Amino acid sequence: MKWKHKDLLDLDVLQAEEIEHILHTAGPMKEILQRPIKKLPTLRGKSVVLLFYESSTRTRTSFETAAKILGADTTNFSVTQSSVNKGESLLDTARTLQAMNVDLVIVRHASSGAADFLAQELRAGVINGGDGQHAHPTQALLDLFTLKEKLGGFQGKKIVIVGDVLHSRVARSNVLGLKKLGAEVVLVGPPTLLPAEMNYLGVKISYDLDAELPGADAVMALRLQLERQQNGLFPSIREYAKLYGLNLERIRKTGKQTVVMHPGPMNRGIEIASDLAESPLSVIDEQVTNGVAVRMALIYLLIGGASSDVA
Amino acid sequence: MWLRQAFVVDPSQNLAVERDIVLKDGVIIEIAQNLQPEDVRAVLGLSNSEQIPQVNAAGKYLFPGLVDAHVHLREPGQEDKEDIRSGSRAAVRGGFTSILAMANTKPVIDQRALVEFVRIQGQRAGFAKVYPVAAVTKGFKGTELVEMMDLFEGGAVAFSDDGQGIQNSEIMRLALEYAKLTACPIIAHCEDNNLAGQGVMRRGEASARLGLRGIPASAESVMVARDVLLAGETEGKLHIAHVSTKESVQIIKKAKKLGIDVTAEVNPHHLLFTDEDISLTATAYKVNPPLPTRADQEALIEGLLDGTIDMLATDHAPHTWEDKAKPFAEVPFGINALETALAAVWQGLVAKGKLSIQKLVELWSLKPAQRFGLPAGMLKIGAPADMVLFDPDYKEEISAANLESKSLNTPFLGKEMQGFPVMVWVDGKLLLENRQIIDVKN
Repeated sequence: MKWKHKDLLDLDVLQAEEIEHILHTAGPMKEILQRPIKKLPTLRGKSVVLLFYESSTRTRTSFETAAKILGADTTNFSVTQSSVNKGESLLDTARTLQAMNVDLVIVRHASSGAADFLAQELRAGVINGGDGQHAHPTQALLDLFTLKEKLGGFQGKKIVIVGDVLHSRVARSNVLGLKKLGAEVVLVGPPTLLPAEMNYLGVKISYDLDAELPGADAVMALRLQLERQQNGLFPSIREYAKLYGLNLERIRKTGKQTVVMHPGPMNRGIEIASDLAESPLSVIDEQVTNGVAVRMALIYLLIGGASSDVA
Repeated sequence: MWLRQAFVVDPSQNLAVERDIVLKDGVIIEIAQNLQPEDVRAVLGLSNSEQIPQVNAAGKYLFPGLVDAHVHLREPGQEDKEDIRSGSRAAVRGGFTSILAMANTKPVIDQRALVEFVRIQGQRAGFAKVYPVAAVTKGFKGTELVEMMDLFEGGAVAFSDDGQGIQNSEIMRLALEYAKLTACPIIAHCEDNNLAGQGVMRRGEASARLGLRGIPASAESVMVARDVLLAGETEGKLHIAHVSTKESVQIIKKAKKLGIDVTAEVNPHHLLFTDEDISLTATAYKVNPPLPTRADQEALIEGLLDGTIDMLATDHAPHTWEDKAKPFAEVPFGINALETALAAVWQGLVAKGKLSIQKLVELWSLKPAQRFGLPAGMLKIGAPADMVLFDPDYKEEISAANLESKSLNTPFLGKEMQGFPVMVWVDGKLLLENRQIIDVKN
């Protein structure tokens, strides 16, 4: 399959076959990651800039590792020590990077649409490393890769996503991808974090976790931003954990060897109990490994092919 | 000056027919059918040998100059976005001969000297007539009323903290009471800050899809309900700015039935765009109140036609290019509208048969002039010759090169629109010809 996208901003623009193609490409990348000498010359001479406006050790390190294994040069544009602190706008930062002729920009930003904005301004490719509440396509892809490995496929599989869906870019991108690949998705959370407008996703919405667990092939807990409680979106952490927290005993209600996922970092004892996170059902560490593989695949597809591949 | 064979639309006289009009000393002195040169010489007091300056207006509409009750001119303080001169030129180019300038400048217009400044800057510029709106509360803080009588004597025609809602209900009640001294309306910007939160567009499926924080419709509607109740209780005079929800329309309709002294305006962008038109990079569509849902939009149009909504107003809100060249959540609210609004409504509603020409002129000239007590809105003999000659066929691409406004934050930028003023007079002075502003030395 010929790759025809300059950027990866969200999964909405990808066809199911294109998503499968990324997952397929990530397979050999994962093997490379297991080698004792993890270095390829594939992207030698390519420059990748990591532009992280939100702190994120996990995602930034994952991207950086992926790019370096492929042989690209990476530059961390650390926002706290840069011109951004002197009031430079995202637009001017983008133009500066363009002038340096970089090949790929990976951006994380607190504003929804920041990645779309950069993609519009830059000739370089842009990967969205998470923008506001909008999208986190590489997290979704690594989750899809993990699910495919564990479940073999998506048709007829029931995936429950539980937590703060309203504010979650992870949930949004995951639902888009899971639907395209044919999975059944159920979103679960309290009404204040799962309001009616989330019906736009076209999947089942439920407030009752225990009612949705039976038959679930995978359950994904979302990270709870603790400041939501201060903003009155739910009464207490205690009640949240009681209603929506995952633990080993609760997961047995699925009646299956359910795959348990979390995008990290975890609030242990709130959205997920340690007994479950440390159990064999949990694939949380593997999600991290797969994250590097999937990001290698994406970086390769975006800037590794012949330059004519870039539309 | 003899204007020949214009199709005159003047709802104040129930007129929609071909007429000749004669002006002298800035005033309309004759309006009649098919005048002959000798008739015109007689009313102008010219001898037979003198030339009569004349304009052939056949095939074009003549409207009373449009009156825009909601304009942000940004002066003093934010002259990089707009100033009174550029904004009042943009107004004339858009067909507006009288405009109400909102008070959310830097500093806000909360003292008499500032009201006088805005008024006098308008006179100095000499384009559209600029009527200042003064703040309701000192510094827009929402806690203490301004010196309303002093500001009124300085030229304020209304009071408004537009740009932000007055959160304290008691202050709003007091404002409606005290403003009775001036007989001026309070223009309410209805927005509950807690409900609006950090929202950047209307809350709904469109905002959920884009991952943008939503402003629920109730953020406006609960304040509309509060303010009409307070107007009823105080018997004060209330004007609701930029109505954008179905529930607001229902509340205003009910309030009018109860005899409450309330009027309301709607902005063209709320009639022509919906939340579905927003994309993550389309920052020109970010406006407050946010673009409505389709159902809200239908209610707004219905309210406009049944008289619940009294007038059209642009809410012209200029912002610089760099203000709007940011991610959606970070850009300021506002649409630049003076030079596109008439064409937009013409194309979107009048040409499609949803709004009659007579109603258009009533909504955008007569009604606002009446509500705010302005000498405008009619083409009767003796009235100031504020007039717009409108060509329904004229097409123009909206571009940086031809906009008089300092800012370009319009969704229509780069698009071709149809239906524009081709000549505009203020007090009989020709200020726009062939879509170009005529510079006048005062």
